Amino acid sequence: MALRIVGQPIGRLDGVDKVSGSARYSADVTLPGLVWGKALRSPLPHARIVRIDTSNARALPGVLAVLTARDLPDVLVGRRMFDMPMLARDRVRFIGEKVAVVAAVDPDIAEEATALIDVEYEDLPAIVDLVAAVEPGAPVVHANPGAYEGAPAERPHPNVQSVLRFKLGDVEAGFREADRIFEHTFRTQLAHHGYIEPHAGVVAIDEDGRVQVWASNKMPYRLKELLSHALQLPKERIRVNLTPIGGDFGGKGSLMDLPLAYHLARVTGRPVKMVMRYAEELMAGNPRHPSVITLRTGVKNDGTIVARQVKALFNSGAYAAFKPAPSVNLGGAGMGAGVYRIPHLLIESLCVYTNNIPCGHARSPGEPQMVFAGESHMDMIATELGLDPAEFRRRNLLQDGDHLANGHHLEHVRAKETLEAALEASHWSAPKAPGIGRGVAMTHRHIGVGFTNARVRLETKGTVTLLIGLPDTGTGAHLVLRQIVAELLDLSLDEVQVELVTTDVFETDSGVGGSRVTHTGGRAAYHATEKLKELIAAEAKKLGAPDASLATIAQAAAREGRTLEASYFYDAKAHAAVTSFTAQVAEVAVDPATGQVTVRHFTTTHDVGTVINPLGHQGQIEGGLIQGFGYALMEEMPTEDGRISTLNLGDFKLPTVGDIPPLTTVLLEDPVGPGPFRAKAIGEGSISAVAPAIANAVADACGVRIMDLPITAEKVYWALREQERRS
Amino acid sequence: MTRMIRLRVNGAVHEVEVPSYRTLLDCLRNDLGLTGSKEGCGVGVCGACTVLLDGKMISSCIALAVFADGREVTTVEGLAEDERLHPVQQAFMDLGGFQCGICTPGQVVAAKALLDSTPNPSEAEIREWMLGNLCRCTGYYKIVESIQAAAQEARP
Repeated sequence: MALRIVGQPIGRLDGVDKVSGSARYSADVTLPGLVWGKALRSPLPHARIVRIDTSNARALPGVLAVLTARDLPDVLVGRRMFDMPMLARDRVRFIGEKVAVVAAVDPDIAEEATALIDVEYEDLPAIVDLVAAVEPGAPVVHANPGAYEGAPAERPHPNVQSVLRFKLGDVEAGFREADRIFEHTFRTQLAHHGYIEPHAGVVAIDEDGRVQVWASNKMPYRLKELLSHALQLPKERIRVNLTPIGGDFGGKGSLMDLPLAYHLARVTGRPVKMVMRYAEELMAGNPRHPSVITLRTGVKNDGTIVARQVKALFNSGAYAAFKPAPSVNLGGAGMGAGVYRIPHLLIESLCVYTNNIPCGHARSPGEPQMVFAGESHMDMIATELGLDPAEFRRRNLLQDGDHLANGHHLEHVRAKETLEAALEASHWSAPKAPGIGRGVAMTHRHIGVGFTNARVRLETKGTVTLLIGLPDTGTGAHLVLRQIVAELLDLSLDEVQVELVTTDVFETDSGVGGSRVTHTGGRAAYHATEKLKELIAAEAKKLGAPDASLATIAQAAAREGRTLEASYFYDAKAHAAVTSFTAQVAEVAVDPATGQVTVRHFTTTHDVGTVINPLGHQGQIEGGLIQGFGYALMEEMPTEDGRISTLNLGDFKLPTVGDIPPLTTVLLEDPVGPGPFRAKAIGEGSISAVAPAIANAVADACGVRIMDLPITAEKVYWALREQERRS
Repeated sequence: MTRMIRLRVNGAVHEVEVPSYRTLLDCLRNDLGLTGSKEGCGVGVCGACTVLLDGKMISSCIALAVFADGREVTTVEGLAEDERLHPVQQAFMDLGGFQCGICTPGQVVAAKALLDSTPNPSEAEIREWMLGNLCRCTGYYKIVESIQAAAQEARP
């Protein structure tokens, strides 16, 4: 089928309001009588709240309300496991936990009032170290976590939130077959998503008693359900109004301050806006889990992997509330198997309570951690075996018909083609000057699943409106949906409009996340449009005018009081048997005097389905890749006794335009995806292999192996000095 | 303590009474309703709040409103002329220079300031000038391409 619009690199036609400043994000929403909420946060990692005196705050002119846990129903909130109070009740468990909240007529007064609240704490022993937290006798963060709603049953230690296992074959038997066994332990850092828009929300209770919500949240229907739970209100009483979201990257799926904004609105009778300051984001904004990951791999002398055991500890901080998966764990742990055929495999992932910032989902949750560990481990084994790292990978890649650790079988496996393309494009075998190194790393990612409602309506002027409940997180998904509808109806893009609807319109929707939107939203829009085409054809037949224009057909129906529209609910429960492979090569220079690592060139290769919008697709690759680049080299939130020392975007370094390396992208298009027009997914494909590609390149350049992220000049410098001392 | 100040914003004169501690960004957003300029980091490093003060680029989140008294402020809302987008704005749309759009007001104001002073910047000059504007979505490649294209477009 020749396509006109699908496959074209179309710019963001939908972006006039964004480039001109008229787009209204949640923080921009204003309503008559609006007041501002601001939270007071705990300065201690673990303490008993002895007393809270709010009288001085209440007395400040302009303050309308001050609430503590005693003013709220005793309800715990969460996304899957409900273990977090809206405001700390008797006990704080991390620095940054909310203990009181103020409503005032302007944000400055609200902030001033929080400083007037007097809280008396009694210190409790804090457990902040991830490994120590699961040792016998460690201080316990929650007295009885098993009692929380949604808590998994298995709990080998009171500080374990959840255990997730992936198993293939018999790992002990596998190790008995091995000629050599290698074991390495890696560490990854705490890192915030870095979206530039802090969490923001407005809550208003309208004259009918309905709760109107505007929030930087990517899952409006799930938000409605979770608010219904948290506020003890029927779902019908809550309406989520969609706003553009100023960056998500996995971080914008929780309730955050919305329950407090509701209670302030209830008490004051005014609409309430709460916008987190960036310092609050960095101390309480559900960042990426730090980890300690040990891999043990058994290989035959010919370089064939026969067994692997992986033990991952993820530092989940004080609450499990931000994790959305039913496992209350990180699915990315399954990437401990890498892109390799490993007959005997056991992966065990523990999410652990500590008195630190509660962590959540971040772009490809768990994978950057696991892929850094796994792909560094692969190179370390290759070095020991005397094999080229690419050749060692080649001998172990997944093949058609293989099973993943989660039991899914795979088809159309293009791991080898993807690797070879990356090696070729990066001139892998070309000679290198001293101090220059190349490193390769691979990963793969499933195409997201979920469910989406779409409705398409033929307007009397012959245009089509697509109604959808998926907010815009920035990916250009709405444009992709327009392309799909326009393609199928033989319309121009201008003749298809997207109308974002509130949560009143559809029954449900899984929202944005997990690389699902092109798949689920695209398929919903696709099938709804196909149904509309049938209605149009029937109407034309009825008119006796098979070539009648869409406007003529729509007007004919309108004259009989009918609107031609079709809905479709697309629900993909199981992952398809295809995934998308990624192979990346970094070429670095290491300064022997300072340890500074410079990425001279980066090559990224992706096994993709039909690309619906090449411009947006490339944007996803580049954006994810530079997030991986920052994660590899600079992003870090060091903590000391639970206190994060980088509480602003000057100290917590994100890549700037001055940091980005020259980039080569290679796409291997193979139209076998489950998405519309056989698309796959791309949003999370480019982030995870960047750090190990760079770590492997550093090792190649100077012999130094960095096993904990980020790869800073300081770490490389000291490792080089250690290397000199030994030689 | 409050003060009456007079600002010329995108050509229109506003008189507004503000507390002396109010930032220019809060004044623009909350007092004047010009919410195009965004607060990201709040400490002058991310660039989402970038505006021009008498033609010079500043971070409005760390400038006081009283500091702008009697002066000319240009925000993202003032870039388009007669409904026609500035070439920088158009290029950001055409070439993928934005995704979520939250940093975009600051990016396009900064890029306009660059092209005002350097109509034909090299890639190195673009990268140097734009260092103070963080973007977390695009990885910057398409921002650089957009500014290069806008420079081409704007050249007579």
